[in-house]
Parts: sequence; C-alpha cells; structure tokens
Amino acid sequence: MSAETLPQALRENYRKFGARVVAMRVKDRGVWQEYTWEDYYLKVKYFCLGLISLGLEKGDKVSILGENKPEWFWAELAVQSSRGAAVGIFTDCLPEEVKYYAEHSDSTFAVAHDQEQVDKFLEIKNDLSKLKKVIYWDPKGLWTYKDPILISFDEVIDLGKDHANKHPGLFDEMVDQGSGDDIAAFCYTSGTTGLPKGGMLSQRWLVASATEWGRLDGWFGKNYEYLSFIPPAWITEQGIGIAGSILAGMVANFPEEPETVQENIREIGPHILFFGARLWENLNRMVQARMIDSTFLRRLIYRITLPIGLKVADMKTGQRKISFPWRVIYFLAYHALFRQLRDRLGLSNLDVVYSAGAAVSPDIIKYFKALGIDVRLFYGSTEQGVMTMPRKGDIRPETSGPPVPWVEIKLSEEGEILIKNKYPYSGYYKNPEATAEKIKDGWFYTGDFGHMNEDGHLIVIDRMDDLKELAGGKKFSPQYTEVRLRFSPYIKDALIVGGPDKEFVTALINIDLENMGRFAEARHIAYTTFTDLSQKREVTALINKEIAKVNLTLPEWTRVRRFVNLHKEFDADEDELTRTRKLRRTFVEDRYKDLIDALYGDEDAYKVEASVTYRDGRKGVIETSIHVNEVGDQK
Amino acid sequence: MPEKRSEAVISIAGLSLRFGGLEALHRVDLEIRSGEILAVIGPNGAGKTCLLNCINGFYHPYKGQILYRNKDLTRLSPHKIAELGIARTFQNIELFSGLSVLDNLMAARHVHMKHGALLGCLFFGPARREEISHREDVEEIIDLLEMNAIRKKVVASLPYGQRKRVDLARALCMDPSVLLLDEPMAGMNVEEKEDMARFILDIFELKKIPVVLIEHDMDVVMDISHRIAVLDFGTKIAEGLPSEIKNNERVLKAYLGEE
Repeated sequence: MSAETLPQALRENYRKFGARVVAMRVKDRGVWQEYTWEDYYLKVKYFCLGLISLGLEKGDKVSILGENKPEWFWAELAVQSSRGAAVGIFTDCLPEEVKYYAEHSDSTFAVAHDQEQVDKFLEIKNDLSKLKKVIYWDPKGLWTYKDPILISFDEVIDLGKDHANKHPGLFDEMVDQGSGDDIAAFCYTSGTTGLPKGGMLSQRWLVASATEWGRLDGWFGKNYEYLSFIPPAWITEQGIGIAGSILAGMVANFPEEPETVQENIREIGPHILFFGARLWENLNRMVQARMIDSTFLRRLIYRITLPIGLKVADMKTGQRKISFPWRVIYFLAYHALFRQLRDRLGLSNLDVVYSAGAAVSPDIIKYFKALGIDVRLFYGSTEQGVMTMPRKGDIRPETSGPPVPWVEIKLSEEGEILIKNKYPYSGYYKNPEATAEKIKDGWFYTGDFGHMNEDGHLIVIDRMDDLKELAGGKKFSPQYTEVRLRFSPYIKDALIVGGPDKEFVTALINIDLENMGRFAEARHIAYTTFTDLSQKREVTALINKEIAKVNLTLPEWTRVRRFVNLHKEFDADEDELTRTRKLRRTFVEDRYKDLIDALYGDEDAYKVEASVTYRDGRKGVIETSIHVNEVGDQK
Repeated sequence: MPEKRSEAVISIAGLSLRFGGLEALHRVDLEIRSGEILAVIGPNGAGKTCLLNCINGFYHPYKGQILYRNKDLTRLSPHKIAELGIARTFQNIELFSGLSVLDNLMAARHVHMKHGALLGCLFFGPARREEISHREDVEEIIDLLEMNAIRKKVVASLPYGQRKRVDLARALCMDPSVLLLDEPMAGMNVEEKEDMARFILDIFELKKIPVVLIEHDMDVVMDISHRIAVLDFGTKIAEGLPSEIKNNERVLKAYLGEE
C-alpha cells in the first residue's frame, strides 16, 4: 500500500470500494445502520471542510470527547486530513481533567458527544482561550442551549458542502500534501504517576505499525467484523479501530449504548475483539456466578466439561500433541457446553482476540482457552504501541509472547524492559525533557519489570516503581498477587500492602457487589448497603477462603496474612483508579494509611470516617467499623 | 423558565366531585397553560389524583366544567379524551406486564393506527409501512428516555424505577398535546429521581406541550415546575409561582398543621 497517511488510505478505499462495501455499522434506533466507504469518505471530507470554514488551520489540534461512534472516527480523520492531530479524551473525565487535556494540547476545536460532554466544555470554555467552537453530534437535551460557541455536527457538514462548492479540489490538495511526519493523534499516558503526558503519534507511526501488526496477525483480506468498544482515546483503539479498520478493510461496528454491548456483540458476532483485563475478569465472574445460580443438570455438565477444557488447554500450552482420545473428549465437551456458552457471550466467530493494558491472571487466559478462545495478552505502551505479541498456536497463559518483528527488546541489569522500535514515537508534546529522560543510548526505558523465558517470551511482572520490599529485603510484586485475587468471582479489586518497615503482606479487598449480593441472597443474609454487606461475617469468611486459596500458589513470604474488606469500592472519580481502571497505588495507600496501620496493629476492628466524592462533585462522609481479619483463622 | 405566551389549554371551572356523601373536589378552578409545567401538590387525600381522573374522564364531576381548547370534556369517556391527545401516567403503573417494553409502546400507538386488524395481521402493503413508521416513532421515545438496553425485556422483569419510565414512555407514544403525570417519582431513589426530572424537562423542551405533575418531593417540584397549585381537602387553597408558594401561610398550615 502506498498511502503514507490515514486520510490517503481512506481515499484509496473510497476509490476502490465506493458505495459497494460497508465500512461501518452503528446500532441506532434499534436498527443497525450501515455506512459504506463512500459515506465514510464524504463525511470526513465535508466535516473537514466545515471545520476549515470555521477557522481550522493546518496542523491544529482538536479534542474529541465521546463514546465510540462513527462521528468520533469521522472527526479524527477530518482533523488528520487538514494535517492536524486528534486528541482523544475519556468520557468519564471530570471537567477539570477535560480542561487539562484541551488546554495542554492547544485544541482549537472540541467535538463532544452529547449534553453531558457539552456541559463540561461550557463549564470550562472561558479558561480555553484558543477554543473556537464546540461541536456536538447528539442533540438530545441541547434544544434550548443558545451558547454561540455550540454548533451541531450536521451543521458543520453543511458548511463543508458549501465550502466544497466554493473551493473544489481543496480537500484533495490537502490530503495529497499530507506526509508521514504529520502528527496524527495525541494519546495521553494514563498518569499512574503524576500529570498525564501527551504522547504524539505521527501518521507514519500509525500507518506503519498498524500495517505490520495487521500483517502479523492476519487482519488483511478477511473482511473481519470488529466491535469498536474500547475508548478511542486509548492507543489500542487508534491502532486496531481507527488505523486497522481503514488499512485492513475491517468493518467497524459500534454498539448502541455502553449498556447494550453484551447484546450487540451477539448480534454482530465479531471476528476480532479487544477486551481489557477487567472485562475478561468480569465476563469470567459473570459466567461463574450464573453457573452457581443454574439448574442442577447444567451445573453438572459444567463441572464435568470445564476440567476437560482446562486439561486440553494445558496440553496445547505445553506444545504437546493432543492424543486422539482427548480430541474426541474435547469435541464432546465443546458441543455439550462450550459452543453454547460462546454463543451466549457472542464470542462464536472469534478469530483474533486481544487483551492488554493491565495484567490478567493466567487462570483467566486458561479459562477462555478451555472454551476455545485464545486470548492474546500482548504487551504495549502509549509511546511504543505493541511491543510483544503471542503468536497464533503458541499462546501461553503466563507470558506476553515474543517481541514483534519491528521491535528489539533487552533487559537492563535491574530487570527493566528496554526497547528499540523501528518506528519510534514522536515524543511528548511540550515536554522534551520527559522525552529525553525516557531514552538513553537509543533504548527506550519502559519502567516495567520483567524477564524473558528460555523460548524468548516476555513475562511482564510489574511496574519498576511498584515492586516492593519487605523487612528483610525480600522483593515481591503486589500486582502479581492482586490479579490472582481478582480471579475470584467475589473479589472485584485488591490492594496488596507491604514495605521495608513491614514484616508481612496484607490486603485491602473490594468485594464484588453483584456476585456477593447473590451469595448473600442465596443464604438469606440480609444487608442494606455495600458497606454493610462487606462486613458480614459470612462474607469475610468467604473472602478469607478465597485468599487462602491464592496463598497456596504464592511463595511463602509473599502470602497475604491479614486483610480487610474495604467499606467502599475504589473509584476513578476519587482518583483511586486511573481512567483506564488501574490502581493509583501510592495515592490509595496514603489515603487508607490509618487503616493499613490498623492491619499491622492489635485491634481487630477499625473505625473509618471516609469522605466520598459523588459524580456531580458533591462531597459526603460515611462512618463505619471495619473488621481486621487473619487469613486462615475462621471464627 | 416560564414562557410568556400563556393561553389556557385546559380550563377547569367550578369542578366538584362527590363519592356518596364525601366531597372529593370542591369548586376547583384551574387553568393549564401552554408552555408550562404545572405542579399540583397537597397532603394525602387532598384530591390530586381525582383531579387528573376528572380531566381524563375516569370520573365525571357532578358540577363544573372542563374545557380543552373550547371543547367540553366533562361528559366524554376516557378513550375519547385520549384520542384528543391528553395522555397520562399512573401512580400504580398500568402496563401489560407480560409483554416486552417494545410491545407495550407499540400498543400505545394504536390510537394512531389507521388500518384494520385484517391488514395488520397480514402485515402487508400500507399496514406494513404504517407499522414501520410507528416503530420509528417508538424508537425516538426509547432513545429520548434512554431505554435502549431494556427494549426487549419483559416489563414484569424490570425494576420499579424502570417500569415507571416505561409508563412515561407509553404516555408519550400517544403523541400527546397535554401530559398528565401522577407521581412519576414516587418510590425512587435520588439518582432515579434526578433522571426522571431530567426526562420531564427534556420532554417539555422537545415536545413543547404543557405538563401537569403531581408530586410529593418538594425539591423536585420547586426545581422544575413553573407554576404550582395546592389542594387541601378537595379545595384549591393556593396557586402561583414556586417562590410564592414556598412562603404561603395557608400552604404551610396545610402541610405542617396549625400552630
């Protein structure tokens, strides 16, 4: 393919497929609406020209804030057509966070989904001197808004049509001028440490790495259906959803609402899919919990077939040949249960399945492998994109696979992962010091701790900064234990605590409200709130058992000795999690410092008065008593 | 914001309703004007629901008159009044609980369906086109009230708050020119109430129809209504802007009792 930029590649698709081939599908008003490559191209063209008639200049940055919808993609490609960059913002960001991204990136326009997102921009518009217009695509609830900064997506398209009449050929000219060096998108680092940094991705970077990635995993020429579902503000969706769908000619399908994803997946039956670690965990928890609720016969089938699946998954992982009798047994198990289960989850047609962004418990990967779903847990970062990738037929639950062909990996003496990329990223926006800091002697320091196994597969353990030491100098990775705890259907989140001043390891547990609620219901345990449920004796006993189970798989010194069930869930609105749902460890440990002290003290209960921030910004206080529990000791 | 143009859409004059010896409404005068959300408040048993029941024809008053755009509603039956475009929701949610949300809403469109049962059964020609266009209207409302995820769920399986929402959607499906809401937020938690208040405002802004709202939650009433009428023992004791009602002595007495 000769295209150097995504707009050029889009134009090629338009010329090749025109109105004959579907490019995207979105469920709207209960019906899947289709857009062909022609529709895609023309929307991009007119939206781009519309922005230009409103004052967009070459190389301008535009913030985009919304759920996954065709408009998101159109807006990004339109901005790129004028050689500018799209700045994706996560939809659940609070107004001040949105302000940071829009201000830092010098955005001149903002494209917002609906009333909720428009309100955020209206609240902060006076602080954004460069902002010219806020464009929305869902007019619901905005009928009476009179602010002159607002304009609808369709109005911009109409302006673009006028502009096209006045300046025919302008759009083609711009697309022709586009070069691989143009910055195409900003992806902000998730900011587990400090303020988010704006990683700049060039057109060359996006086009080349998505093409190579697609070649490696065979996206091309298969007319794959893709479910666009992870936030486009995230680099992975930039790679698969935006660049991948154009370059490899995949159909991007957009769910109706975030709540209808489960239903929509079934209607689409995607071939290629990316779920974050949390989603695989949720899916697994859901199946397990539903099975507990199910009829006797179904439970029996589940109990017979699942071990068969796991056994065969193990054999495949060990690269052993699966003997004929086992193949027959697996065939029967597959048709007795796995096939139906996959169908229920909408995962029947899957060919290529990804996860990344956070550690996933090997048990989860193994579990889905038993169902015949090979989840490829790859290793990537905002700056470097994909760095290692499990290859088809050689997917092992505990590794992230070997390095991709365009990346070279070595380990520093301390065990930090260093990489050299054939397609280097373009640095952080307005922050050359941070850019320089990350690269020494041509190697990019990822800040992740890991090691290579004898077959050249990378195993990522944790962030370097997150490795902990216990009194006596033994090192351990809290995250390693946390992901294994989260495999329990009853544990939604966990924070593992330890340190040089501490003799042993302890845990703060977030129970899973839904599954624990079911558990309580089945046993007629009355409870009122999350807080109340979390402190019930039966509930702590159950968690106790779950932790003891995980302890068995851990080295002696890293076993969890005491734990508390936290009275509330970790919440991104309170800065306890990042927007991609990673734990902000230092912050959380600081916040619950007294509680952690209690874990190492002699009291067996602790009173907390915690402040909570509600979604609308109000603050409240809850007071409650938390039990400190000794693992293994069941009163 | 109350809009200035305020012609009366429904005028109620001297309305009195009696059950045997009990006078449920006593000479109530009230105007429902275009471009307003009118809240009707009052203690339990004040006659609020009776008032709605008179407007939509469930009860017939023994005295007084209800005019809708100069048409006398007083003696009309409920289905005639519904056809005129006066839609309502119910305190105790009245839906086909065994049908899906979608079927409930499509059924509500039947006042607007022109073709007979035979053509409808055959799903042929004009009846087919009609069904599709009604489905589009229903989908608009599903989107407006954010019910996409429960479209195909059976009503009986839904939690209370969502059933209330379906009830509101059902009323909207009639394409009403006046909307009567009987305690739309009763029994809801704070978040559900906020959602419902937002929906009511959205409907009001989008459809530009008068809304009559019976509600107990004073915060909501003060927040979203343009005018308030207060009933006590079947008599209207006050009427005015929220700010006026807040400080009205008779109203405070009715709610708090005599000193």
